[in-house]
Amino acid sequence: MKRSRSLKLALMGASALTLSACEEAPQDVAIFKDVLQCENEVGFDRDACIANFEQAKQEHVRVAPKYTSAEDCEADFGAAQCETAPQKTQSGGSVFMPLMMGYMMGSMLSNGSRAATQPLYRSKDDPKNFRTGDNQKVGSKTGVTKVPAQVAKAPSTKTSTVRRNGFGSSARSTSRSRSYGG
Amino acid sequence: MKRIAIEERGDWKAQADSLGFTFHTIDGAPYWDESACYRFTLQQIEDDIEDPSGEIEKMCFDVVRRAVDSEEVMQRLAIPEAFWDYIRTSWRNGEKNLYGRLDLSYDGTGPAKLLEYNADTPTSLYETGAFQWLWLEQAMERGIIPPGCDQFNSIHERMTEAFGVFGIPGALHLASGSGSAEDEGTVRYVEECAAQAGIETIFLNMEDIGIDPAGRFTDIDDNIITTLFKLYPWEWMMSDEFGASIPDSGVTFIEPAWKAILSNKGLLPLLWEMFEGHPNLLPAYFADDPRAATLEGGHVRKPLLSREGANVEMVRPGEQPLSVDGPYGAEGFIVQALHPLPVFEGNHTVIGSWLIASQPCGIGIREDDSPITKDSSRFLPHVIRD
Repeated sequence: MKRSRSLKLALMGASALTLSACEEAPQDVAIFKDVLQCENEVGFDRDACIANFEQAKQEHVRVAPKYTSAEDCEADFGAAQCETAPQKTQSGGSVFMPLMMGYMMGSMLSNGSRAATQPLYRSKDDPKNFRTGDNQKVGSKTGVTKVPAQVAKAPSTKTSTVRRNGFGSSARSTSRSRSYGG
Repeated sequence: MKRIAIEERGDWKAQADSLGFTFHTIDGAPYWDESACYRFTLQQIEDDIEDPSGEIEKMCFDVVRRAVDSEEVMQRLAIPEAFWDYIRTSWRNGEKNLYGRLDLSYDGTGPAKLLEYNADTPTSLYETGAFQWLWLEQAMERGIIPPGCDQFNSIHERMTEAFGVFGIPGALHLASGSGSAEDEGTVRYVEECAAQAGIETIFLNMEDIGIDPAGRFTDIDDNIITTLFKLYPWEWMMSDEFGASIPDSGVTFIEPAWKAILSNKGLLPLLWEMFEGHPNLLPAYFADDPRAATLEGGHVRKPLLSREGANVEMVRPGEQPLSVDGPYGAEGFIVQALHPLPVFEGNHTVIGSWLIASQPCGIGIREDDSPITKDSSRFLPHVIRD
């Protein structure tokens, strides 16, 4: 047979976006401040703890809040709680981010936990609670626990936009057709 | 290969509207046309379209391999020098391609001939992958066509599979140019396929994209864009204001930058130069190449960069030249040997052969009332039946 076996098609348009609007059940996650705490937890083996830690470290570079000065970073996260990020500003200046203070992952005790492995932080104003890279409060508990589905998702990274509308002018000045494709 | 007039489903417009396929009719003129369908044998599909499409894709990769290391070729293609390194890096890093559409002239006999490759921003994906599939199922159910018909179309499955192994970290942003219902429809369908593969998706218009102090691109909510599917051509990306910021933006683009080498009609003379005599290729030269004058039996002059037949000129022996107006051609032209499209009841028919993750997996058929296919063309479904 040369065709698809089945086609599941939601309505195009609005409903393609309803995934994020849905109420989802809280997710099982595991939260640790470091690999040692993870491997001491029942049901967690060292290799998996390390692998998840490494993945969180990688995500940390992507999702940690970024600052163009160490002072600004420390104002939010506390003295000596920031490090230099690998990114650079467009003019070649340094970028700073808070230290990773822990990590969260799908619980290995639960089937099909879809929580993304991600780094956690502690802010200066609320040091008791872990927070995600997009500043969602996770809580103070470590070990296996439940968090809202929204918190368990990989963080989007927010920033400040300085300019918009930098794409589109070539299209407008060239084409009068009803499509930019072909 | 036959064209067969058939009954239309009485409710097809209502179905199209409810599915979001609102561009089934454009400015009052029909686009989706189920008053007829095309019929192929399995052998025609497999031997004459599917396998050659795979071969053509391999030859195209050879062209890219050569082009990224050749300043001369990049110059010939009029790709701005500021992007040569970025394009080379996107190829060397193995940045994945998702889809593309080869336009073939084929009449059921003899080898299909490549007219051009829409490698960067092909449209009609939804009609080809989803709507014509639905037509087949319902047409058989309702006795419009005999039972047991098949169709060369596993596009929907391949799209969701491809997204499943793409390795997109975090959310996928998808963008179309504002003001085009057709383009938004295509992008929404791609979004649907990604969502079915479990990917978080965010739709926006190209014009909404912003930039932050570190040079990263942002969406309307100031989220950083890390992977962007764009229904917007690379040549315009490169010449827009944000073009210069692309290499340092950290964004993975779908389609990747190296596709700019293939979505350029300079591909055709390069293919002929490297694979002269291949049965699925037509002789082609850059317009300023003296060998262009050796093309006998008519030729077609096409801009390096253009779409929907604009600025194409067809010279036919013993007949008036045929040309289409348009805004393109600043980068130069190619000349390709004339191989007229087959004509079925006054309709000039072109076959769009789709590759998803470089695998041929479906076709969509368009008819135009003139030999040069334009955006006025209509889309017709097809069946496979021996």
